[in-house]
Amino acid sequence: MKWFSNFGFQRRNRELQEEIDAHLQMAIADRVARGEAEETARQAAVREFGNILLVQDVTSQMWGGGWLEQIGRDVRYVLRQLRKSPGFTITATAMLAVAICANSTVFSWIDGTMLRPIPGARDTGDLVSLQRGERNFSPTPPFSYLDYRDLREQNHTFAGILAYHHDWITLTGGALPERAYIANVSANYFDVLGIKPMLGRFFLPDEEARAVPNLVLGYALWKTRYGKDPAIVGKSIEVARHPVTVIGVAPEGFVGAMPGIRQDLWVTLDPLGTDVWRMTHRSGGAVWLNVIGRLRPGVSRGQAAQDLDTVMRNIVAAYPDQHLGDNRITLDPMWRSPFGANGYMAATLPILLAFAGVVLLLTCANVATLTLVRFVSRRRELAIRQSLGANRIQLVRQMMLEGVVLSIVAGAVAVVMTSWTAKTFAWFFRATTIPLALNGGMDHTVVIGIAVSSLLVGMLCGALPAWRSSHAPAAEVLKAESASISGGSRHRKLLSGLVVAQIALSLPLLICSGLFLRTLRNLAGANPGFEQDHILTATVGLNIAGYSNDEAQLIRHKILDRVSALPGVKVASFTDWIPMTLSHKGEDAYPEGYVPHPHESLQVYHAEVAPRYFESLHIPVLEGREFTLEDGEKAPRVLIVDETAARRYWPGQDPLGKRLRVWGSLFTVVGVARNSTHMFVNESPEPMIYMSFFQVGYETIVQVETEGNPVDLAPAVENAIHEIDTRLPVFDVRSMRESTQMASSFAVIQSTLAGIFALIGLVLAVTGIYGVVAYRTQMRTHEIGVRMALGASRVDVLRLVLSQGLWLIGIGLGLGLAFALGLTRIIVRLLYGIGANDPVTVVSVVMLLGAMSLLACYFPAHRAMRRNPVIAIREL
Amino acid sequence: MNEKDQYKNRIELLQGTLDMIILQTLQWGPQHGYGIVQALRLQTGDVLQVETGSLYPALHRLERQGWVQSEWKQSESKQKARYYRITAKGKKQLARDLGRWERIVEAIGSVMYVKPKESTS
Repeated sequence: MKWFSNFGFQRRNRELQEEIDAHLQMAIADRVARGEAEETARQAAVREFGNILLVQDVTSQMWGGGWLEQIGRDVRYVLRQLRKSPGFTITATAMLAVAICANSTVFSWIDGTMLRPIPGARDTGDLVSLQRGERNFSPTPPFSYLDYRDLREQNHTFAGILAYHHDWITLTGGALPERAYIANVSANYFDVLGIKPMLGRFFLPDEEARAVPNLVLGYALWKTRYGKDPAIVGKSIEVARHPVTVIGVAPEGFVGAMPGIRQDLWVTLDPLGTDVWRMTHRSGGAVWLNVIGRLRPGVSRGQAAQDLDTVMRNIVAAYPDQHLGDNRITLDPMWRSPFGANGYMAATLPILLAFAGVVLLLTCANVATLTLVRFVSRRRELAIRQSLGANRIQLVRQMMLEGVVLSIVAGAVAVVMTSWTAKTFAWFFRATTIPLALNGGMDHTVVIGIAVSSLLVGMLCGALPAWRSSHAPAAEVLKAESASISGGSRHRKLLSGLVVAQIALSLPLLICSGLFLRTLRNLAGANPGFEQDHILTATVGLNIAGYSNDEAQLIRHKILDRVSALPGVKVASFTDWIPMTLSHKGEDAYPEGYVPHPHESLQVYHAEVAPRYFESLHIPVLEGREFTLEDGEKAPRVLIVDETAARRYWPGQDPLGKRLRVWGSLFTVVGVARNSTHMFVNESPEPMIYMSFFQVGYETIVQVETEGNPVDLAPAVENAIHEIDTRLPVFDVRSMRESTQMASSFAVIQSTLAGIFALIGLVLAVTGIYGVVAYRTQMRTHEIGVRMALGASRVDVLRLVLSQGLWLIGIGLGLGLAFALGLTRIIVRLLYGIGANDPVTVVSVVMLLGAMSLLACYFPAHRAMRRNPVIAIREL
Repeated sequence: MNEKDQYKNRIELLQGTLDMIILQTLQWGPQHGYGIVQALRLQTGDVLQVETGSLYPALHRLERQGWVQSEWKQSESKQKARYYRITAKGKKQLARDLGRWERIVEAIGSVMYVKPKESTS
């Protein structure tokens, strides 16, 4: 290992060599001068000098000095030792690399999502996400423009507050219409985030609420659709058939302020002047903005929330009718912001990291076992070195170094593996209407994480055996020949402890993964309350393509007629929302005559659905009627509520004919539908209202019930729509089953990873116990031979070997169960249809682990049993 | 603990003596390793023979302590050799070692040359 020795060391060695040569030359010269023959003189001089190598060695030790030299020497020694046992080296490195990689992979996902919530933004730790009303998962945008502006101008704790509204739109003007994700943003949007334009400029304060058709392009869109045109700034492009001027391009990597969700382009809040109503009201449809604030330095989240609450109370006092319901403000740091993907990430990834941590501990125990066994067999060598003058600190240092060298190599391997596994995160998310931009990232944080964990692991793997071995008195080891080489009782205890630890650590992993797998099965088998199997949905980019309202309504009716007439189509309908796709639409609804409790949220889920929607999804309408084509724009406003809404607002009464105020107009209840799943199978039911698509529908999603496989009908449906107008953009044509799988993405992630981790755990625990029992049995070969010669039967031998293994398994399983009880508590919220201590899972996992461990003990026992006692006795 | 300490003391005593002898030899001028061996042999009439296995480690240790300095020079017989020279620090050390040595000799002497009658009782 030339690369590790430094020049000083080599130079001094060379000089010492020359010094000794000079000594010998002078001695020879003297003898020759005294009359001796040259050859005899040389021999005598060398004899007189003594052992040259020894002199060199002892002298160079006097230099002591440079710690680099010492470590270099130790590293060379360790590498030599590791080269001597490649089996151990490769096994230990591979195990450590896999375990470190498990951790760094999950960590890279956390790093890519929670730790970098807004790529490109400055100091995201100071950013907070504002929520109004009851804290919930995946809420709808909470603020109106006027409320937002008051909060922005009257607070004392924020350096800046931005607002945005996320939507999608069609880019027209090119050969093909293209869907793009757009955000209406406040003028200070980029400023508060700390983003500088790559080209051109961003929005000016006085452009915020005015009708200025300016647009900022995202880097990716600029690259793909506009071929990185360096002169794009100032050009006019067509968005939804309106000319808009490009004023700037955002830097590469920046995809917007909503964590995990991509925005392709940005415009101001009312760029065309068509949204005046939305800009001048405080409730109903004017509540459309997500808000993020940047705290002033030194201000805590609690202080800021208090400050905003005061401002909000004044707003509510001034406009009480526009602020019914809950108006308290809560602030979340961006890593767990409920808007975007991070709310889900924060509920899943830390738990997976904890699992990965358990795998790492388990691996440490396994490698420590291997190391210990190796050190025990090297005890004589170590004892000899110790009696020749190596001090204990030196020995301990070398052993620790062995662990460190192993883990550094493993860490390097893990870095390479992680650079690939980090990117596998996106696999878990299918293509949906949501522009997810989720993936792990391999940056310096992850590399540092890997380095730190591998060093810790190295210390842990090396320290235990080193601490043990250094305690063995040299003289004792040398005196005792083979019989006690197997190690004193101390070694046995430590080995047993490590085996117990491995079983105890792998059991909770197995139980958790069992619970997750059964949760996944329950979720897949659960009845969501609507038909999933013969439904096809297709999104038509109608109102975003720039048609007038009347044109759009006409086209919708045409679509319904054409698609209904297709062969293989049972029922065709429209909706503007697909259940179980991680999204929902929420609105405040005020039932007539209903007095809300203080702070009661009046938000309901809503969907706009066309006639025969309930028929196509097989959702029974329990009372009243479905919508009909008569429920059009000119007819009185009507809605259908679900059972939860009916029970909440009109308990014990007939809901039909009752009225609800939504968006400032009154809707009459004409039907009650059976509850069905909105977001997740395991959600707590929220009130849901359905409104008539032809009255208030916004987005156009064609929903078709088919006779056969829905996907087979996709081309026909697309053709039917294009026959009406070839320029109609059609997106997201897929089966309902495919869409609703989105809801179980996180269950899939959890069970996949927990399954992998548990498998690793099982393999490690079983090989660990096998290794230790086999090793111990081998060390007792002589003893077993004696026993057999004295009349012990083969069954006795089997019992002898098995019993020691059984003890370890029993204790390990007991401790593991206790540990599992604690660990399953943290995953309770992620389970569905199964208790955290589900007896079937626990018993079957305990039996599986117990049986595998027993099998691991049986093989060495079997081998010992079949030994020929005569040979066994001779073998020491 | 005890065993180890005793062992250490013995080493130190020997080392101290060897160091003192080497420093004393270098008092008369810079000398190389072979020269030191020869000088001691001449002065003590072959009674004290320093092992090379002790001499060279001792020289390198003394150099590390800063008590001697070394440089490569041509000897009279045109042999390139490493010459050691005592430093000011080394001279002070020699004085200290000598003082201690005299006290030890005196102490040992007072034990070895006691009158027989005092030991009977």
